[in-house]
Amino acid sequence: MTLPGAWPAELTVDALPPLGQLLLSLADDEFVIGFWDSEWTGIAPMLEEDVAMSSLAQDEIGHARLFYDELARLTATDADAIAFGRPMGDFRHARLLDHPRTDWAFTVARRYLYETADAVRLEALVASSNAPVAEGVAKIRREERYHLMHVDAWLRRLAVGQGEGRAKLDDALRRLGPEASSVFAPLPGEEELVRDGVIAASLADLYGTWTGVVGPVMRELRLPFDPIPPTTGGRGPDHGPDFAWLWTEFTSVARSEQGARW
Amino acid sequence: MTTEEVDGAVYEVFRQEKDGDPMRHAGNLVAPDPELALHYAREFYSRRGESHRLWVVPRAAIGVVDDPDLLRPPLDRSFKKPGGYVMRDKLEEARRRAAEDHP
Repeated sequence: MTLPGAWPAELTVDALPPLGQLLLSLADDEFVIGFWDSEWTGIAPMLEEDVAMSSLAQDEIGHARLFYDELARLTATDADAIAFGRPMGDFRHARLLDHPRTDWAFTVARRYLYETADAVRLEALVASSNAPVAEGVAKIRREERYHLMHVDAWLRRLAVGQGEGRAKLDDALRRLGPEASSVFAPLPGEEELVRDGVIAASLADLYGTWTGVVGPVMRELRLPFDPIPPTTGGRGPDHGPDFAWLWTEFTSVARSEQGARW
Repeated sequence: MTTEEVDGAVYEVFRQEKDGDPMRHAGNLVAPDPELALHYAREFYSRRGESHRLWVVPRAAIGVVDDPDLLRPPLDRSFKKPGGYVMRDKLEEARRRAAEDHP
């Protein structure tokens, strides 16, 4: 594997075409949640869950790679340069993913909100007029099905348990609820993607679909769920100090010797 | 991390590598409930795509027979094995008699 070259200085993410914006949002979301969740490796609540969470985190980074590869093809660069050679301020993941893993209930709450939102988004891409997107999404959805089952089992487990777990889950959902819609933050040039059939509906419409999916589950479990409609500020460029730490962490090897091979 | 710290049970996992293969014992794991046991089995025994089917069984559901008096009693059992009953001499004797009766 070749370590990435620098992200080309003349390439600014804001100048990417609408398809590039979509690919970047998908890839950055999966990449960042994958790195946060990998922070559980070695310290998850039990050995079995440690293996499961580490494997899930790897899956997410694998999905990111698929979208980065496609973006690399569009921009004549390479996936590693996009992932590891890009400045912090050029990341366009959702605001929901700007927090560290925190405690287990927080991770479960965030994964639930994110994975359900991602599932709605992927469903709107499975029949995409863009063939590489449609093919990639079809593969990813087969893996995400299991991710949803896993996080649904944990959400229910913490919700029906009494005491600390339930209290921490409530806190996390109250804190993250208003940010969950950032997955559906409008993308530059989104109307064009809808018109061309790249995505089946606008992100604002997908947000509506998502609240219809998650709302009943939250009511059933009597969990707090107070989403607010997505706004343009939902995807950076300012991601705050926690993401700054994570970026420093995941780029540390690539930055230590640019262009090195191993 | 020990199993004592975890509110869970042991599950035995059986795995089939290809369709039609026998289910073979793969190992075991600890899980807090049967649903998470399925997820962990999937992570432990097929996250690299190495299984066609998994059976995940609570260890408590397995009946065990390991009493040597039941399984290997100290008596001659050779007559219960197909190879333990030697036919050759008896067959020869029977043929000889048959030849004498109908020369």
